[in-house]
Amino acid sequence: MAGSLAASAFFPGPGSSPAASARSSMNATGELPDNLSVRGIVAKPNPPPASMQVKAQAQTLPKVNGTKVNLKTVNPDMEETVPHSAPKTFYNQLPDWSMLLAAITTIFLAAEKQWTLLDWKPKKPDMLVDTFGFGSIIQDGMVFRQNFMIRSYEIGADRTASIETLMNHLQETALNHVRTAGLLGDGFGATPEMSKRNLIWVVSKIQLLVEQYPAWGETVQVDTWVAAAGKNGMRRDWHVRDYYSGRTILRATSVWVMMHKKTRRLSKMPDEVRAEIGPYFNDCSAITEEQSEKLAKTGNKVGDDATEQFIRKGLTPRWGDLDVNQHVNNVKYIGWILEVSAPISVLEKHELASMTLDYRKECGRDSVLQSLTTVSGECTSIGTDKQASSIQCDHLLQLESGADIVKARTQWRPKRPHTTAGNA
Amino acid sequence: MLRCHTPPQCRPAVGAGAVLMRRREMAARCCAAPRVSGVEAASAVEGGGGEKRTTTMAERLRMGSLLEDGLSYKESFIVRCYEVGINKTATVETIANLLQEVGCNHAQSVGFSTDGFATTTTMRKLGLIWVTNRMHIEIYKYPAWGDVVEIETWCQEDGRIGTRRDWILKDLANGEVIGRATSKWVMMNQNTRRLQRVSDEVRDEVFVHCPKTPRLAFPEENNGSLKKIPILTDPAQHSRLGLVPRRADLDMNQHVNNVTYIGWVLESIPQDIIDSHELQTITLDYRRECQHDDIVDSLTYIEEGEEKSSNGSAFAAPHPEEQRQFLHCLRFAGNGDEINRGRTVWRKLAR
Repeated sequence: MAGSLAASAFFPGPGSSPAASARSSMNATGELPDNLSVRGIVAKPNPPPASMQVKAQAQTLPKVNGTKVNLKTVNPDMEETVPHSAPKTFYNQLPDWSMLLAAITTIFLAAEKQWTLLDWKPKKPDMLVDTFGFGSIIQDGMVFRQNFMIRSYEIGADRTASIETLMNHLQETALNHVRTAGLLGDGFGATPEMSKRNLIWVVSKIQLLVEQYPAWGETVQVDTWVAAAGKNGMRRDWHVRDYYSGRTILRATSVWVMMHKKTRRLSKMPDEVRAEIGPYFNDCSAITEEQSEKLAKTGNKVGDDATEQFIRKGLTPRWGDLDVNQHVNNVKYIGWILEVSAPISVLEKHELASMTLDYRKECGRDSVLQSLTTVSGECTSIGTDKQASSIQCDHLLQLESGADIVKARTQWRPKRPHTTAGNA
Repeated sequence: MLRCHTPPQCRPAVGAGAVLMRRREMAARCCAAPRVSGVEAASAVEGGGGEKRTTTMAERLRMGSLLEDGLSYKESFIVRCYEVGINKTATVETIANLLQEVGCNHAQSVGFSTDGFATTTTMRKLGLIWVTNRMHIEIYKYPAWGDVVEIETWCQEDGRIGTRRDWILKDLANGEVIGRATSKWVMMNQNTRRLQRVSDEVRDEVFVHCPKTPRLAFPEENNGSLKKIPILTDPAQHSRLGLVPRRADLDMNQHVNNVTYIGWVLESIPQDIIDSHELQTITLDYRRECQHDDIVDSLTYIEEGEEKSSNGSAFAAPHPEEQRQFLHCLRFAGNGDEINRGRTVWRKLAR
């Protein structure tokens, strides 16, 4: 229905004027619809060539929001068909290229606007331009890809995206993957078969390796996929790249366990759930085993070579920190951990290179937490750079009453000058 | 009916070429903004005369653009899962962030600075920056995860010393207006921290991009955005003390982001209101700035005996009995100086 509305707005019947068709499609507030007034150009009355019209309607599919919506550049198709409909003589002048340009622009922009609301099967999946950010499944269903542009409020004082922003994107793609695959049960953490049994996924561990931080206005492309983790767990990996240059921004891996919502006890994976998600298991690893071990090594102890300890007490969740279950969102913990990780003088010169998080217990609105950090001086950094002055920290976020919420280990490297996408 | 800006009539086809030139020009200005670096993908459209019109990928991905007359700017956003709060709908902080984002993008697209201050050339020469004075947001229907919100924004003069920025938020799927907002800004000298009149030079630079006839998001008389917020002296009924800025609350200029204050105001609202009501309106008067080391107290006072509903405009909450109204004060824990004053109006959730 939406599609035909577009078609009628743009291809008014012969003899009708743009104003007439505009009046008929005015919306509730009495404004002319955007597609007419904003663009200002309407192909003058003339029925479109059959090929164009068929094209517009072919894209009308019932679903508006949610499943498998994505966009592609329609350049090749548009340019093929439109020239056939080069305006002939409905202007009192010879057809000239600016008219053609106008027609093409109008059609494209209008169609684009409608396509954002419709299902759209990609013809060239690898060249998808995910204009609205719904994301799409690629590689025969094994990987989900979504793009994000870094917004002004997502950056820190140094104009690059904060680690929380990046982790928020990871969380969003994970959910969109599940939703697009049709596996979203109740709430955010379960498949339909899991919801039936009151089971939810709970994150137990996350590891990330950051290679560079994107800046304001840049676009990142996030790929995510799932795999098995042992017999009853699930692993979800992400690979984030700069959209233009393809350079890696970060790699991450996470392990999830299944828990009963009411009893909060761990559960085995039922066969029905395995049947649901098994087909999506993709053996790829964003972070290799050796890298993973290196990140997590030297274990949990706050060692004797510790140089400095910091503590911050009285941390409380704000309303905005809570998810739909009134638990603190995973990503917020990172903010608390980093609040107190090192003196400002150190942080200003360093950036987070890697982080390993072990989630132990959840906390809610009434929790009061404290964050402890032990900074343990220099170490050989991971990755390709051999920088002498890297810093390693061990973190513990716990309730003031004692229980551990999150244990983390971070590695920091001196800040590098940010290279923009074009220079990469 | 809300009277909004009436768009210009469709131009006759002859002018089409000229209009496109304008779009090309605007795209070029966007491209010039330093943050849009990297490859500019060729757009869908190529002029036959060998001229390549470029829409940068960033521009298209952002889906934001100046409207044809150049006087306002529109952009759409999907609500992401982490922007959704305990009610399964976007939080008011998310909405405020998006308003800020679209305001920023508008300023950029008309050539203001990209350093976070959104200043014109003259302003930078004179060391002047914009400072928010008041922010007023009304939300009639909160969007949920996956909804697409279209926000239109524009700015215009406001008296002799200030400017105002207005927003209208619509649900892109059905065109319904889901919120409105307005804000007042004044110019301040960055160094002396004193307010300054908008000089003619600056006025010319800024307001060329603004509607010449006043266009208000809240055109109705005596609307909520104009109501004064009194000084609060009585003891507060509810409070939350000892709030501390987090690193994530600091903006590019190391001051606490405007949106953080909204979160702080909400901190001292009692739990039973949060559980049973939804924030419909928030008005904040900004008085002082706050930095990383400050400690803040949030105080809430019940506002009684006021005219609770707006004057029958289509966007008011239905019955005063289902509304709750509060006044707020954010102040420094140490010396008690006022940081912000606010008012919130809550409507009962239909649970």
